[in-house]
Amino acid sequence: MTPPTPASLPDSLPNSLPRPEGEFERLDAAWVTPTGWRFFKSVNNTSIGLLYIGTALLFFILAGILALLMRVQLAVPENDLLSPGTYNQVFTMHGTVMMFLFAIPIVEAIAVYLLPNMLGARDLPFPRLSAYAYWAYAFGGLAFFCTLFVGLAPDGGWFMYPPLTGNKYSPGLNSDFWLLGIGFIEISAIAGAVELIVGILFTRAPGMTLQRMPVYAWAMLAVAVMIVFAFPAVIACTALLELERAFDWPFFIPERGGDPILWQHLFWFFGHPEVYIIFLPAAGIVSTMIPTIAGTRLVGRRAIIVALVGVTFFSFGLWAHHMFTTGLGVLEMSFFSAASMAVAIPTGVQVFAWLATLWNGRVRMTTPTLFLLGFLFIFVLGGLTGVMVAVIPFDWQVHDTYFVVAHFHYVLIGGMVFPMFAALYYWLPLVNGNQMSETAGKWVFWLMFGGFNTAFFPMHITGLYGMPRRVYTYDAHLGWNLLNMVSTVGAFVFAAGVLLFIVDMVRTLRRPTKDSGNPWNAPTLEWLPNDYYGNRSIPRITSTNPLWDQPTLPQEVENGQHYLPGTATGGRETIATSPVRAEPRYLMVLPGDSWLPVIAAAGTAAFFLLLTVKLYPLAWLCGLVAVGGTVAWLWESDRRPPIDEARVADDLVLPVNARLSASQSWWGTMIMLIVGAGVFASFCFAYIHTSMRLEVCPPPGAALPDPIWQLGSGGLLLAGSGLILLAGRAVGRKRLPWLVLSALGCTAASFLLDLRGHGLAGLDPTSSAWAAAIGAILSFQGLHIVVLAIAGPYLCLRAWRGHLGERSRATLDNVALIWHYTTLQGIAGMALVQILPLLME
Amino acid sequence: MASMDDQFFRKLTRGTLPLLVWGAHFTFCYLLAAAQCMPGALRPGGPNRLLLGIATALALAVCLWLAWRARGILRDPKAASILEWSEALGAVLALVGIFWNGVPVLLARGCT
Repeated sequence: MTPPTPASLPDSLPNSLPRPEGEFERLDAAWVTPTGWRFFKSVNNTSIGLLYIGTALLFFILAGILALLMRVQLAVPENDLLSPGTYNQVFTMHGTVMMFLFAIPIVEAIAVYLLPNMLGARDLPFPRLSAYAYWAYAFGGLAFFCTLFVGLAPDGGWFMYPPLTGNKYSPGLNSDFWLLGIGFIEISAIAGAVELIVGILFTRAPGMTLQRMPVYAWAMLAVAVMIVFAFPAVIACTALLELERAFDWPFFIPERGGDPILWQHLFWFFGHPEVYIIFLPAAGIVSTMIPTIAGTRLVGRRAIIVALVGVTFFSFGLWAHHMFTTGLGVLEMSFFSAASMAVAIPTGVQVFAWLATLWNGRVRMTTPTLFLLGFLFIFVLGGLTGVMVAVIPFDWQVHDTYFVVAHFHYVLIGGMVFPMFAALYYWLPLVNGNQMSETAGKWVFWLMFGGFNTAFFPMHITGLYGMPRRVYTYDAHLGWNLLNMVSTVGAFVFAAGVLLFIVDMVRTLRRPTKDSGNPWNAPTLEWLPNDYYGNRSIPRITSTNPLWDQPTLPQEVENGQHYLPGTATGGRETIATSPVRAEPRYLMVLPGDSWLPVIAAAGTAAFFLLLTVKLYPLAWLCGLVAVGGTVAWLWESDRRPPIDEARVADDLVLPVNARLSASQSWWGTMIMLIVGAGVFASFCFAYIHTSMRLEVCPPPGAALPDPIWQLGSGGLLLAGSGLILLAGRAVGRKRLPWLVLSALGCTAASFLLDLRGHGLAGLDPTSSAWAAAIGAILSFQGLHIVVLAIAGPYLCLRAWRGHLGERSRATLDNVALIWHYTTLQGIAGMALVQILPLLME
Repeated sequence: MASMDDQFFRKLTRGTLPLLVWGAHFTFCYLLAAAQCMPGALRPGGPNRLLLGIATALALAVCLWLAWRARGILRDPKAASILEWSEALGAVLALVGIFWNGVPVLLARGCT
């Protein structure tokens, strides 16, 4: 049956009344969330989202306590409350926990909780992936934080610049724990990005075209894309530093051809988009809330969306403005200075559109409104000092001073924490129907707003007076005493506001559950009546502000008059729609609750932690648990659905599940491969960077492998991919597993051939950074061969057990994608290694 | 078999083309300037400003053309789709970004 286009949707509602008896009960039973300790095996977005938000807030409080410790230490000159070493650990953990364990997770957590309801979906497409990401983050993050109590916390600053963090100056485990802690957030952030991209593009309510999609969803789509392109750089640089620390591969040691600036390039290629990864969700939250509090439509809605996309692009051209004092060329610096100013334009477009909306409407002065106004005030000041530090000579003066500390706290607390608090006040009624106290809320706001400005505004002056960052104390005669004392008082006032907020939030959450209704008269779908299954029926959308323009929608949805008012397969499911016009395409079957993601996450966290403390046998055992848990979880998925077609409306029958580019798993795999390609590109950048630093390439004593080895290797890679293509046409035939195993043989042999070529050429990654970079490229290819060595036999096992057929072939299609990618990556890596020295001759 | 085809990638490319041009120009300028100041490809006198200037002029011309192509939005901005807005505003943003990036080519020379 041809799916209807929005224009051709019938005037009548998708489903008629009365609804069949027991329909709602079956839906409810499919989505029921376990209680007691079994709650922790639930995977749906509401449970995971709440756990995620709670854990991120816990890290906010923990990192905030560290900030207070720092402020107490700096309140008076020559203080000895904290030793220099402890102070180093405290400021490093404060920055790291705030950035990696609070800021990124909470923006994803709010999205996981909120987006399915806002988009009209029952859940996101990969609930178990969300659960795995959350548990890996929670286990790993808490273990990472505990290093502080045993004196093993990292102490090299939140950006961990080598050579300070190399083996020579940081011989203990402290830096290794940082590299490990970042690993957990890499896992959860990327898993979140996969969820968000696929969820936003394919699970929107029918009729919710891209044009009608909420600005918050646009912002989260932009953020997820940024994560996909920015995170590979930090994955790569943490891997390189760990390789240097563990195996003496000298990527960042200048005496052996390495370069500490390489770390800074890779770190900040992630680190600057990271600022916008944190800010854009907040901007999306503001664009969603401002029309509600002003009671009018968002001014310049389409301009705001384009501005979000513009910021996404520009944010990747700013990374070196963190490196103006490292000796970059004058033209290079000027390009980054210009881009840093250009990004102010799309950001300004958003700010003016928000102001115009407030001007246009009748503003209700509630607590969320106060936090939004506070955001505008603080963020604009932070943006202005941002333009100041984009001016190179000014940056040279204030670099590494408290001026910069003031600037980025104005941007981050103003641009992210204030909107997040506004969001918590605004959306908390969704949790149990109760609103937080308005009276207490106003106290919270003024304590936080006043405390923040008292704490951080003086830091601009302290910085201009020359106080450097990261000093554990200062001399009494430098003129910084009063300013520091004022900052400390302000920090405690701010903390009092946060404490009052927590008390009020706990009090509100302990109240009996009731129906939230639509307390703010908001126009977006999350305020429809909902439960763990989302909405009773999936709404059909005809407007940008559906709850304003379709006033009977809540009742219609609750009556089951819209799409999919029950469960067609007896399990969890949602409607997949096309990415642009949101036309219903197929019924997406979703997995149920399971302990497997928790087991896999616990195994992953334990593997990395034990590896860091060098308990190798136990670490590998936990690694096996992680792999076993993941395989067992995947084994249950990609089964033939019980029905081939499902009726989701009176006149609409959809196929159940889809294959190739129509299926969610194909998109998930593609996004993961883009992340992999980004990591590979970062390793290639390391190779190019270390090569370009050489007068002669290869460096004296090193040699390139004979091309014959790599030609042979490339040929075998192509043969492997060819065999996998044939396997794709042999579904249901006995030869399929043998084709896969032959392909695995070819691909593994290709790697051995490449390795042998380098071995004969005398490659020794410990000898120079150039050789180490080749080692990194080779190792990354080896990692992909290991993945295929697990995926290939797994595929064969599914075929032998009868779990691979025309209606259940996602595993095959996805493994084929990984296979072809590995072929391309192998050939590209070998070509780069051979060709670059020729270009430099 | 269900299909997702509603010209997603074509529309995505159309909507982001001006910003892709900005990205290509920025990447080219940065890589050239960085490479020609490193020992492996050192150029006496610093980065080749003529080449950078030509790249900037070319990128500006492409964005001007894209902006001109999207001028239809001025007739009825309220009726224009998000894609048309993206083409038009993206072109303006890219023009400003490329122009600002081009200014240092006129003002700065050498590597240090």
